[in-house]
Parts: sequence; structure tokens; C-alpha cells
Amino acid sequence: METLTPKLCLRGVEKTFWDKKGRATPVLDQVSFDVRDQEFLVLLGPGLCGKSVLLQLIAGLDEPTAGQILLDGQPIQGPTPKVSMVFQKTGLLAWKTVLENVEIGPKYAGVPREERRRTARRFIEMVGLAGFENAWPRQLSGGMKQRVGIARAYAAAPELLVLDEPFGALDAQTRYVMEEEILRIWEQEKKTVIFVTNNIEEAVYLGDRVVLLSSCPARVKNVYPIRLPRPRDMLSAEFLALREEISAAMDLSV
Amino acid sequence: MKNKRPLWYYLLPLVSLVLVLVGWLYMAAAKPLLFPSPAETWQRLIKLIEVPLARVPLYQHILISLRRVLGAVTAACVLGVIFGLLVGWSRTFRATLGSIFEILRPIPPIAWIPLITVWLGIGELPKMLIIFIGTFTIVVTNTYTGVAMVDPLTLSVGRVFGASRRQLLMEFVLPAALPAIFAGIRMAIGVGWAIVLAAEMVGASAGVGFLIFRGNELRDMPLIFVCMFIIGSIGALLSAGASWLERRLCPWRP
Repeated sequence: METLTPKLCLRGVEKTFWDKKGRATPVLDQVSFDVRDQEFLVLLGPGLCGKSVLLQLIAGLDEPTAGQILLDGQPIQGPTPKVSMVFQKTGLLAWKTVLENVEIGPKYAGVPREERRRTARRFIEMVGLAGFENAWPRQLSGGMKQRVGIARAYAAAPELLVLDEPFGALDAQTRYVMEEEILRIWEQEKKTVIFVTNNIEEAVYLGDRVVLLSSCPARVKNVYPIRLPRPRDMLSAEFLALREEISAAMDLSV
Repeated sequence: MKNKRPLWYYLLPLVSLVLVLVGWLYMAAAKPLLFPSPAETWQRLIKLIEVPLARVPLYQHILISLRRVLGAVTAACVLGVIFGLLVGWSRTFRATLGSIFEILRPIPPIAWIPLITVWLGIGELPKMLIIFIGTFTIVVTNTYTGVAMVDPLTLSVGRVFGASRRQLLMEFVLPAALPAIFAGIRMAIGVGWAIVLAAEMVGASAGVGFLIFRGNELRDMPLIFVCMFIIGSIGALLSAGASWLERRLCPWRP
């Protein structure tokens, strides 16, 4: 069920960094778009265009220089349990087992041990890692690590999930498998998802809509609704046409 | 699975040991006054075990030195880790206590011996204090470096999933810094074992440092050799103990 009230609103968001000599580097320039409830929104942009910075702002890890970010109509002030994140470099804690990594969201929210372990086990099973609860992260492959990252993000019971190029470091085969997985989980769990990528094919395959960002400083160049039924055929004429269209509009990364 | 190494690699250490022994025998034959032979050294060891030197049996000499080192190093580790964490984590601490520490740090522990002897005499406390000064600085420096080198991603993960500042320090920063902290502890044990010898050469009536100093006074070359072997073996045992402790406390490391 898609409602018309936006889950997240970005209004004229700007971010500028200053170095020690006072030189300004604008990274985000007047970024505005909405994310609808339970939508799968893809942020597509060339490498180093400020996509990660934008996610940091949405996750409350940093503040915009100007503009507003509203979650359910409220400005974001610091990290909130409503927003959870999957990191490109997984960010798994090497000193915690798979189970202990997945349970940190509910743990810091004060959920009692038994209950949060049950939650963690459920999401470990959901990402297909049942039996690996007591493994150390170093014992897992790249794809398995990112599955743990996804389980951890869902176990925190967020309303909005942001994924920062989660499959960027995976080989092509694993990447296709994980794209299928993330869609399956999204359809099952009904959360709003913002997925960042620099891969056009991945963007068109996954997104309800694709927000195309320019190179740095990032501006919204265009928003593409992807009206193809899922599962999508990457070789269909419509898919390839969309890919072509977005490809022509996308800036080359520096 | 480790690759099977050829038998040759297991024989090489044996070969080098035999070569050292042959060299020793040769030197003992050429300069018998400067180089006691292996047999003479062995006999001196047996005699040292049977006849107490300075009315203290050999094992007591060793235990007295060990107690001084372990007591001082334990205190240095506990206080050093706490101090290093605080200086690395809190800007206020770094600005106040951190700067005092930076002024005192470059003074070698041996340089404190005259002052501490004048102030505190020649009992147990001043000897342990000298060892403490030398090892505390090592543990603090390593802990501080470990904290400073924690991946910012680790902290982002903690903040996104709602860890409090205290939880960030204890469950993210501390375990991430543990390998560096343990490098410091291992080094502190080695250095502590070295400093105790210096501390015992001034105004001690027991301990392995006292023994080797007495060997020097009496020109008892076999005794000096025996002491060097004992000091080396115990140093190696201490270092093995530290590695064992590290494996117990960091089970996630390969």
C-alpha cells in the first residue's frame, strides 16, 4: 500500500566542508526530494559526488549547512532508532560474533537479552545465515558479511533503512544474488528504503524511483519513476531504454 | 590448513643452536678466564641452587624480582589503560593531564633512580615505583595511539545503533584498541624486566639484578653467565604469558 504522505522530505539541503585554511568545499547543493512511505528509492550518482555525505545527514551523524531534513515531519536531530543503516564497508564489529553484531540495535534500545536474541536470530535466518550465529566476522565471505550488515539494520526495527553502496565491494555474481535478496527482504518487511549506488543497472533493477545526482557538488538532476513490474528483466527493451536514458544524463565521475 | 614445510625447516634451528654451542666451546677453550665453558656454567648453576648466595636461595632471588616486576607492571597496566583511554577519548583530559604526561614522558625511568632513592630510600616501594614509571608511560602511549587509530566507521556504527557515549567507549573504542593495548603490555613486561635489574643494582640485597651485580663484583664469570641465562629464560616466559593472556582476552583474533 502506497500512501502519498512522504516519509522523508529533503528541502534545499546543502553541506559544505571547510579545511584548516578556510577553503570551502561544497558537497551538496540545494538537494530536495521526497521519499514515500515503504518506497524503494535509489540515489544514483557518480563516485565521490556526496551521496555518502547525504546519507550521513539522513542518519543524523552530521548536520546540513543549510536546508531541512524532515522524518515524519520532524527535523532530524542526531541518530534515531527510526533510521538504520547498512554501510559500504559493512562496519561489522570484529570482536562480536554474528549474533552479537546483529543484536546491537535492540540492545542499545534497552530490549532485554532473551527478547533481542530472538529478534537477532530471526533476522539472521532471514538473510540466510542460520547456523552462523556464533561465527566471528573474519570467518565470513564478503557477501555473508554484508548479509550480517543487512540483518543488523533490520533487527534495529527502523522505519527507514539507508544502504550506502552496500554491494559496491562484492564480485558481480554475489552482487546479483544480493540484489535479489534485498528486494525479497524489502517486500517481506515493508520498510522505506533509500539505496545508494553508482551502478545504473543496479539502480534501474531495484528502484521504485531513481534520483539522479550530479557530480560534486551534488544536485538533483532528475527523478526517474521505474514502472517496470518485478522481477525485472535486465535484458528487456524497456529496461535497456531506461538504462540508456539515465546513462546519457549521468555525469562522469572525476 | 597450513602447508607442510619440508623437514629441512625443522632442522635449521637445531643447526644454528649447535653452531652457537660450538662457538661457545671454542671461545671457552681460547679464553677460559673470560668465557666459562658450558660445563662450568652448569656446575655454577647447581652450586647456586645448593648454596644460597647472600643467605637467599636462588628461587627466592627470582621470586623477589618477579614480584617487583609483576606488581609494578600490573599497576602500570591497569592505571595506564584507564589513563590512556581517558586522554584519547576526552578532549578535557588530553588538554590537562595529557600535557603533564607529555612533559614527564621523555625522562628515562633510570634517571629517576637517584631522586627516588633520596626521597623513598631503598625498600620495595621505590624499586617498584621506578619500574612503574618506566612501564606506565609505555602502556599509556600505546593505549592512546590505539584509541586515536579507531576507524571512524566503528564510531558511526555505534552512534547509528544508539550506543551511549559510555557504551561507545567501553564496547567500541576499548575492544578496537585492544590489539594496540596488548602490544603495549607486552612491551611493558619486557621493559619492566629490564628496569628491575637496574633498580636492583643499586641498594638491593636480593633479586636477579643483585645476583648479576654480585657476580660482577666478585669477578665470578660463571655466575654472570648463569644469571644471564636465568634473566633471559624468565623474560621469554613472561612474554609467552602475555601472549597467552592476549589470546584469552581477544578470541576473535586469528
